Amino acid sequence: MYVYRIMLFLVFGGYLFSPLLMSGWANPDAAWYRPFLIWGGLIALTLWLEQKRKLDERR
Amino acid sequence: MSLNLPGLLALGVGYLSLLFLCALAVERGWLPIRLVRHPAVYTLALGVYASAWAVYGSLEFASHYGFGYLAYYLGVAGAFLLAPVLLVPIQRMTRTHQLSSLADLFAFRFRSRWVGTLLTLVSLLAVLPLLALQIQTMGHAIHRLSGVGSPSLLALGFSLLIALFAMLFGARHSHLSARHDSLLAAIALESLVKLVAMLALGAFALFGIFEGPADLQAWLDGAGHLDQTRIAQLDPAQWRTLLLLFFSAAFLMPHMFHITFAETLDRRTLLQSSWALPLFLLLMALPVPLILWATQRLGVHEVGAGAAYLAFGLSSSWWVDSLAFIAGLAAASGTMIIISLALSGMVLNHLVLVAHPPIAQPDLYRWLRWLRRGLIAAVIVGGWLFYRLVGVRHDLSTLGLASFVGMAQCLPGMLALLYWPGANRKGMVSGLAVGMAIWLAGLWVPLLTDYPAMVFLPPGLEILDGAPAWYSVTLVSLAANILTFILVSLATRTSAGERAAAEACSVDAVVRPMRLPLVATNGAEFKRHLARVLGEDVANREVERALNALGLSPLDGRPYALRRLRDRIQANLSGLMGPSVAQDIVDRCLPYRHNGPSATEDIHFVESRLEAYRSRLTGLARELDGLRRYHRRTLTRLPIGLCAFGEDGELLMWNDALAELSGIEGDSVIGAHRDTLPTPWNDLLGQILATPQGRLYKQPVSLARGQRYLTLHRAGLQGEQGEDGGNVILVEDHSEMKWLEDELVHAARLASIGQLATGVAHEIGNPITGISSLAQNLRYDTDDPVLLETADQIQNLTDRVSKIVGSLVGFAHGGRHVAGANFVSTSMASVTDEALHLIQLARSGEDIQYENRCPTAPAVFGDAQRLQQVMINLLGNARDASKPGDRVIVDANPEDRYLHLTITDEGHGIAPQVRDHLFEPFTTTKPAGEGTGLGLPLVYSIVAEHDGQIEIESPPAGQVSGTRIHLWLPLHQENGESTHEPDSDR
Repeated sequence: MYVYRIMLFLVFGGYLFSPLLMSGWANPDAAWYRPFLIWGGLIALTLWLEQKRKLDERR
Repeated sequence: MSLNLPGLLALGVGYLSLLFLCALAVERGWLPIRLVRHPAVYTLALGVYASAWAVYGSLEFASHYGFGYLAYYLGVAGAFLLAPVLLVPIQRMTRTHQLSSLADLFAFRFRSRWVGTLLTLVSLLAVLPLLALQIQTMGHAIHRLSGVGSPSLLALGFSLLIALFAMLFGARHSHLSARHDSLLAAIALESLVKLVAMLALGAFALFGIFEGPADLQAWLDGAGHLDQTRIAQLDPAQWRTLLLLFFSAAFLMPHMFHITFAETLDRRTLLQSSWALPLFLLLMALPVPLILWATQRLGVHEVGAGAAYLAFGLSSSWWVDSLAFIAGLAAASGTMIIISLALSGMVLNHLVLVAHPPIAQPDLYRWLRWLRRGLIAAVIVGGWLFYRLVGVRHDLSTLGLASFVGMAQCLPGMLALLYWPGANRKGMVSGLAVGMAIWLAGLWVPLLTDYPAMVFLPPGLEILDGAPAWYSVTLVSLAANILTFILVSLATRTSAGERAAAEACSVDAVVRPMRLPLVATNGAEFKRHLARVLGEDVANREVERALNALGLSPLDGRPYALRRLRDRIQANLSGLMGPSVAQDIVDRCLPYRHNGPSATEDIHFVESRLEAYRSRLTGLARELDGLRRYHRRTLTRLPIGLCAFGEDGELLMWNDALAELSGIEGDSVIGAHRDTLPTPWNDLLGQILATPQGRLYKQPVSLARGQRYLTLHRAGLQGEQGEDGGNVILVEDHSEMKWLEDELVHAARLASIGQLATGVAHEIGNPITGISSLAQNLRYDTDDPVLLETADQIQNLTDRVSKIVGSLVGFAHGGRHVAGANFVSTSMASVTDEALHLIQLARSGEDIQYENRCPTAPAVFGDAQRLQQVMINLLGNARDASKPGDRVIVDANPEDRYLHLTITDEGHGIAPQVRDHLFEPFTTTKPAGEGTGLGLPLVYSIVAEHDGQIEIESPPAGQVSGTRIHLWLPLHQENGESTHEPDSDR
């Protein structure tokens, strides 16, 4: 159940800071694929949390 | 124009034929069920979210706002990231109560059919622009590629084909919440097609137009930089608002609600999609900027609505155009199919059936199916009309955002449904009405009329002046909606029904249903009552379906079982006709009895729910639940029988010990009324409940295990205020104690008889000795042969009497000895003879033939007196087990250093379960009062004293019945010592 709180924290944190994603469009210092890398990292984190949640519920 | 009209039509029809084929393959079972029900299919089906907006609208949005287009994907990804706390509770509710749409859910929670109707109207108004968007993209894409024909007529043709597909494969079942495997597989295929097509377009842009990622980056930093600076950056507040809109679309949009909750497989699959769907969307979103940048590099510049179709400018080759067309067609058709299904279900349940209840329809299932098919067609044609009359004048962003803002008006209601049990119907309806009014005036009416948006900005929000209409309308409408909702909910009363439904829906509450008895008393009566409204056939099928789902018997009359059956039927009917109609039917046909005892909480049901909710508990709640489990376990595993009754006589608890004692499993009786418990428990528990003292001692009860003596104690469970709380009853099995008492009495009587026998033997012995002496004298005093013969007879008879008296005295003294003190060479033949002699003195067993086949040698080393007692006990048991005419054979053979003695009878034998306990004191197979249960333990101890062994064989080898006792006694050696050595084998 504590994993759910991490997910909530993650979503609300992402909601607040997500406008930073848009700044990469016309920014020559940022790689064009940066938003997708961040997004992919978020998916990997979700996958990891999902495994944690399964273990937590099994206990 | 690389594709002509016939080519495009062939492509489109060919693609839709592929869909038909896929659905047909699943329908006919040509594809393995493991593949069809694989979680990946479900995740791909969820990809229905990526509608034509994802293919064309995102390009249009990206060309205006750069990475702002990602809000469409990230919003829904955020909702799925929160699946465990947001989507799973909704899924649990929809599955428990068979709710197949948002309108069903709201009508169930706010206990009003009119709420369902309102939600249906809201959904219709809000989704029409989105439906029009899908149709518009199809028409425009065909027109753009072919350059001929009317886009609207071409779109109509495709729409009708899609409607036909939805009618054929989406309305297979009358139950709206039934899973449509063929439909899901087809939607998954559509998602796969659009994903592959988009990735192929992206790859073409990256490697066909650019020369790879490095070239793209170089272009962006160099020649393309100027183009990028022209693209506006979305205001952070607007971006967050967009995220909120798309977040709420994940579970409020009818097509998403339908796939996520009405078609869902299980909780595990939904949780899996929390990362799988965002991954799908990432792959869908990735090609969008690549296509945009590639067209910019090629110098293709589209403005306004034309930017949506930039993908067609990537290349003049037919296959690139075909990919762009198929991606859009797959996205649009999937969304249209699911929207039409979801909306048709809502319209059916909350408009048609409310206006025209299906009372006693001759073939209800068929009627519902065809009605639904008609509504599917009507929704798609309605979408086309909206496109034709309104949508054709607007770009994709305007249509799409109008739709998303409209559906977001249901967000406050949905959040309150999950997390605020205090919310009520009046608050929700008021908030929704205010929000919808602002949305209609600000976005929907301007769509129809082309008038500017009418947004009233309250004082303090002047900052929104000049902001895009969708943004200001979203903020103002949602703020007004939430504020009105909260104020009205706090200011008005909530009905009892709403409170109960709120508890059923709330994430943090456990349903606490009341134990009210029903008028119907079993499954057959359920059918009879329901047949009045549903018709006999439907009533039978629905009751049977519910009984099967619950695993109940039609004859089960337990009030608990009947309440569960009623709930299940209501849920199933809800899946068929919506919650409002289902509740009406069930309330009318299966009413509660209100003249019985007052309703109390259904503790057993609450406990079963708590068991299911365990993983959701944290902190103090989890600790308390652990404590509850500990106390529950204590009661369940108490080694004394325990049961508890509610004040209305309904059984609430039946622990393991009582289940073992009674042979009745708790699950089969919990929830039953005391009167309906199996005999003798109904009477026995009735007696203890009626006894003022609350105690019943050693009540004789006939159970499957035989006669038992039970002691019962009762205690009231009154609350602190003295309110009645039922009774708890302890049931102790005192049978063994009762038998022990009986045996003690019997043993004491036997001891008195033994003392009496000893005294009598002593008293008889003296006169007998005198008589024997006198007879001896008589022999010396006479030569008369007659007198001599008389004297001999007298002497023989007195010898016999002396022998009997001697045996009686010997037996009476048999229990007192010093082990090993009298061990001598003993012939078992003579010991057996002595024992048989005494046995035959008893009147019973006169018809039994005894055979002593023991050889006189070799002798054993032992105490003759004690061994005689062994033989008396064993032969006595053999006699008691035998029928008249049976034989009892005693045989002996030397075996190694032992004499192997067997006593074989032809009696009834010994049951296996008793055989293992025969050497335990007070274990007997004889009727009470006849056997002490001490004989064989005594035999065992005497044999053990002799370092011998005893075994029981029943039935003996070669016989169908009877018993053979095997004795091994150490042989006597000539030097006067036993041959005994410790023998580990025996």
